[in-house]
Amino acid sequence: MFNLGRTSLRLSLKFAFLYSVLSAIIFAGAYWFTEYEVRNWLHAQMAADTEVLIDIYEQSGVEEMARSVNLMAAVNFENDRIFQLQGPDGEVLGGNLLQINGPITEQYIAADSVEVSGDTSDEISGYWIIQNAVGPYILLQGTGNHVLSEVLEAMSITLVTGIILIMALGSFAGVWVGRLTERQIASISGALGRVADGQLSARIPIIDAPTDDLSRVAVSINGALEQLENLMESQIQISNDIAHDLRTPLQRLRQRLEKMTRQRVVDPEEAEIALTQTEDIIDTFNALLRIAQLEAGDRRERFQTTDLRSIVTNVHEAFEPSAEDAGQLLLLEASEEPVLVSGDPDLLMQLVSNLVENALRHTPEGTEISLEATHSNSHPVLRVSDNGPGIAHENYEKVFRRFYRGEKSRTTGGNGLGLSLCKAIADLHHAELKISDNNPGLRIEAHFANAE
Amino acid sequence: MRVLIVEDDQETADYICTSLRELGHMYEHAADGKTGFLSALDSDFDVMVIDRMLPGLDGLSLVKSIRSADVTTPIIFLSAMGNINDRVDGLEAGADDYLVKPFAFSELSARLAALARRPPMQAEETKLRLDDLEIDLIKHTVVRAGVPIQVQPREFRLLTYLMRNADRVVTRTMLLEAVWDFHFDPKTNVVETHISRLRNKIDKSFDRQLIHTVRGSGYSMHV
Repeated sequence: MFNLGRTSLRLSLKFAFLYSVLSAIIFAGAYWFTEYEVRNWLHAQMAADTEVLIDIYEQSGVEEMARSVNLMAAVNFENDRIFQLQGPDGEVLGGNLLQINGPITEQYIAADSVEVSGDTSDEISGYWIIQNAVGPYILLQGTGNHVLSEVLEAMSITLVTGIILIMALGSFAGVWVGRLTERQIASISGALGRVADGQLSARIPIIDAPTDDLSRVAVSINGALEQLENLMESQIQISNDIAHDLRTPLQRLRQRLEKMTRQRVVDPEEAEIALTQTEDIIDTFNALLRIAQLEAGDRRERFQTTDLRSIVTNVHEAFEPSAEDAGQLLLLEASEEPVLVSGDPDLLMQLVSNLVENALRHTPEGTEISLEATHSNSHPVLRVSDNGPGIAHENYEKVFRRFYRGEKSRTTGGNGLGLSLCKAIADLHHAELKISDNNPGLRIEAHFANAE
Repeated sequence: MRVLIVEDDQETADYICTSLRELGHMYEHAADGKTGFLSALDSDFDVMVIDRMLPGLDGLSLVKSIRSADVTTPIIFLSAMGNINDRVDGLEAGADDYLVKPFAFSELSARLAALARRPPMQAEETKLRLDDLEIDLIKHTVVRAGVPIQVQPREFRLLTYLMRNADRVVTRTMLLEAVWDFHFDPKTNVVETHISRLRNKIDKSFDRQLIHTVRGSGYSMHV
């Protein structure tokens, strides 16, 4: 778990480093720009001073100008500014710049190449120089570069302090966020670990309403786990069902085949029975698979708007003669208006068929069975009701279980899966299957949502 | 009838081939999708039997490829996949019929016969005749030996299907699918009762029986 914390720390350090590099680049740009601006500004200042001195020269002559130069040189602090007024023959007429010992390159001269009267600031490493002709004289002015060094110094301090602060804050935030997510991730991975160990009911504890990404992920994972658990339970249920209800017929089939292998000549009638038994086993198996697939719910993409009236009419037409032959009456009551649901016509047909067959099989001669497609509280309803003996109220919910057979119907055939399949089809259609007393008899209804 | 069988399971393939040979049909067997595709393009078959799960090229893609190569030979899918969407997927891919394993050979053979006899261009028939029985597909009337017979709409549909497949065996499942749109097997004797009613109307008062029961398989209409 500590690893995760370190991961986020490393990540935040990386970001801090990146931020530092970027800051350095920006500061370098700013430094260059500042130097450029400061230089221009100082040059402009010197040019303005030159103008003033030219005015003085033109109005009052060279002595007055030399005095002004000396005055200006005297009032500046620690030789921030240097001046020199040269005569036509190069003799020094005024100013604090006594002598130039080095070259002036690009209007710049190093501080140790000049001799200046008085104290000079240590921070000046060079001067920016302008030179102007004033009449026959030459006026030389220079400004120390310590302004720039000071700006540079201030910027460097800001830069370094900034980087240190960013690193510190970044690491702190990284560790903090890491700790925070670490706890959530620990609970997620803990729950998934328990599920992996077979404890399918394990869930991620969710304290408040999901506000951040991780909580939402946790909620989704819980949803997926829920579905997984249901699927697994249904798988286990199916395995149990298969073991429960296929073993007996398989055992019978096996006995018959064993008996046949002992016979010298195969009795075709025996083989026929074996074949029928195989068919029954396949039927049961298919029904189980179908229920499982419906419960997994992957057929909704094929849903279409379907009129329940056409479904009940078709099923009625199919079963009416069989009912008549059995001495039962199958009645059709379809609404005047369309009864539209969103569904799979094939499956709805099977749902209605199974309900009708169930009624036909478990009611005696003379029973009236009615098949309806109608609306109840403006919702589509399928209804199959009979006036037969019905079933005990306490068994109502049991009839939808797989392989459930009422005591009386043990001998009336069927694999006990018909109504489970109905339940699975209804569930897939988000329809509610309701079983109730028809006084007398049984009534099973499927309540649908209206088709959009 | 020339049948192409594309099936990778040797035992199932042998079972189908042997049974087809016993019925006097010609067949060619391909054990994987690619070989099957080449065979399907190479020679002329009356019908093809294609397994859903094949090595190389799966059945669904194989059928799509065959159809996109403009081969219109009827195709029947065999599938061990129980998924309920598979039938629709198979038909959408271009197959004409679909049979889920395990199946009885009589079911396969009846479906093959029904598919193979389809004329390439379905001519618009208005009347179907068998011996002295005649049905009018436009007016929905049935006449036998000059005597008009009243039938229910569903009985008419059943009779039409039987007559279109005259001299062939049609199985219970084929009838459930074609006449009632039932893609499942009801446990009630739906087909039997309807056939029995139809017989009462078509055959009962006449000398020659036209609707015959084929034991263990289904029904057949012939003289």
